[in-house]
Amino acid sequence: MAILEIKNVSKFFGGLAANADVSFEVAQGSIMGLIGPNGAGKTTLFNCITGYYEPSRGEVIFKGNRMNGLQPDRVCKLGMARTWQKVRPLAKMSVLDNVMVGALCRTNSLKAAREIAMEQLQVVRMDGKAAFLAGGLPIGERKKLEMARVLATKPELLLLDEVMGGLNQSESEEIVLLILDIKSRGITQMVIEHDMKTIMRISDRIVVLTSGEKLTEGTPQEVVSNQAVIDAYLGESHS
Amino acid sequence: MKDTSAKNVHGKAGFKSAEPIVTLLVLAGLALFPTLVSSPYSLHLMILLFLSIIMGQSWNIVGGYAGQYSVGHAAYFGAGAYTTMLLMQQWKIAPWYGVWAGMAVAVVVALVVGSICFRLRGPYFVLASIAVAEILRLSTMNLKDLTNGAEGILATEIPPLTIAGKVITDFSTKVPFYYIGLGLVVLTIVVTFLVQHSKLGYYFQAIREDQDAAHSLGINLTFHKNIALIVSALLTSLAGSFYAIYIGFIDPPTVLGLDISVQIVLICIIGGIGTIYGPVVGSLVLVPLSEALRSNIIAEAIFATGAVSPTSGVGVFLKENLAHAHALIYGVLVVVVILFMPDGVLGFVRKLTTKRKGERS
Ligand SMILES: Nc1ncnc2c1ncn2[C@@H]1O[C@H](COP(=O)(O)OP(=O)(O)O)[C@@H](O)[C@H]1O
Ligand SMILES: [Mg+2]
Repeated sequence: MAILEIKNVSKFFGGLAANADVSFEVAQGSIMGLIGPNGAGKTTLFNCITGYYEPSRGEVIFKGNRMNGLQPDRVCKLGMARTWQKVRPLAKMSVLDNVMVGALCRTNSLKAAREIAMEQLQVVRMDGKAAFLAGGLPIGERKKLEMARVLATKPELLLLDEVMGGLNQSESEEIVLLILDIKSRGITQMVIEHDMKTIMRISDRIVVLTSGEKLTEGTPQEVVSNQAVIDAYLGESHS
Repeated sequence: MKDTSAKNVHGKAGFKSAEPIVTLLVLAGLALFPTLVSSPYSLHLMILLFLSIIMGQSWNIVGGYAGQYSVGHAAYFGAGAYTTMLLMQQWKIAPWYGVWAGMAVAVVVALVVGSICFRLRGPYFVLASIAVAEILRLSTMNLKDLTNGAEGILATEIPPLTIAGKVITDFSTKVPFYYIGLGLVVLTIVVTFLVQHSKLGYYFQAIREDQDAAHSLGINLTFHKNIALIVSALLTSLAGSFYAIYIGFIDPPTVLGLDISVQIVLICIIGGIGTIYGPVVGSLVLVPLSEALRSNIIAEAIFATGAVSPTSGVGVFLKENLAHAHALIYGVLVVVVILFMPDGVLGFVRKLTTKRKGERS
């Protein structure tokens, strides 16, 4: 069963097609990797899916509902949550308050929200930092805070935009384990990631974008053995 | 080591626990003040202070918490002032009914402002908010039949406040205004406290910190910005009505002018934006400052040293020009505070005290 269907989605900025006729489906409970060189249109596709942009053409179907034209807050309420490539902490609020803002998506009670938020902070092992200001955190913890905050909105589909960007080896490993843990809880994920080893390890399927178009799609093995992918993407990033 | 930049925001537990007691003591002192001090000028100063706090708290909700820097709050202040005064003067409707009408008018203005301005972000929002208030001021100037135009409205008499035929108070002294002002201060602080400790407060602050992040976490931006503006407009309108009845005269520049809008913002910027006590601190700085400058305190101080005689040529020159320079001096002091205390006086003091604590441990 597909939880998300992308049907012939195009997004134009003036004359530039940041996404051109992209189609694929994401199976319920799976992890879909999304890779491609810088400027391939990965973030733009996330923006089209989550309501930040309305696709110029095509359709986004989530749990059978057409999402085109819905505002991001509606999209979140319907069970889709995203992180930002460039993290967006609510800087002058505490770590706990940041996650509570996410939790308040599902409850009106501050007490309930505080409980959900503490739970999620424990999941990312940041409960010890609950009272700190979000703006003062180092990058590794900002990324984890972002994860805790979206998890607190109780999503069914999570879109992670380069959550390992700028992290060191052990921090990345922590995020990988977190992603696998989220999967074990039945939450579907789309993951944009540059590191091939990581994306091979966590993805059930991978979509490759180049210059806005879908180059290919398949299991990690199929994708790495695809000559076009090697030429267009692997060749570039390994040179 | 990078961690030290992340401040522990709940680190002032000792201060917190003393807060209710301090608040009660201050309130008791303020309640007794008119029985101890009868000088009309002292009461007048306190009433001006209250008015300033009420205005600051009102703006703080939409500007400080929700981060929407309206520089057009004169619109709501003027809406309250004009509605209450017009109802009292033209239709003989007592001000304690008039204030409700004033609040209703302010909400209508807020809905118009919201529908125009909240499509815009950052500096565009600021400019649009100024524009709406200016339109209101110019309309009031020109709708002479309704508003008396530039001549303004003078309150001839305020009917005494009666409940069930019994006279509670007449308004022959400043004392009733003192207590009404104090009551409104408490009201605005309580409203701010309730907002801060509710879902609304969390959502307002999230919008202030990062609109896009807030949007993606399920927050309806337009709805919440409008709620913040409406609450703020209601309270600002109360401040306007209070001002009008207390002073007894209004005209378009004094209640709808751009300087009122700027004044309201400054109270919060000076004290500390988005904090409950910021507007209180800001008012404690600004009201005495502007009163001192208005009464030409600098010239008086120079004469007091005996260096210059007030009757000499230089003395007369100083007296005249320092009186006119008060807006300039005020402006320079405000700029100095903004430059050196970006989080306001309150934020500055907090920073000093947390640094000290850090050094000790
Ligand atoms: N808001 C925008 N306006 C104009 N061009 C944009 C906008 N957003 C993205 N683009 C362009 O679309 C292309 C794809 O960008 P993006 O989706 O960020 O790529 P990726 O995330 O794969 O690195 C780039 O050429 C980028 O410059
Ligand atoms: Mg990107």
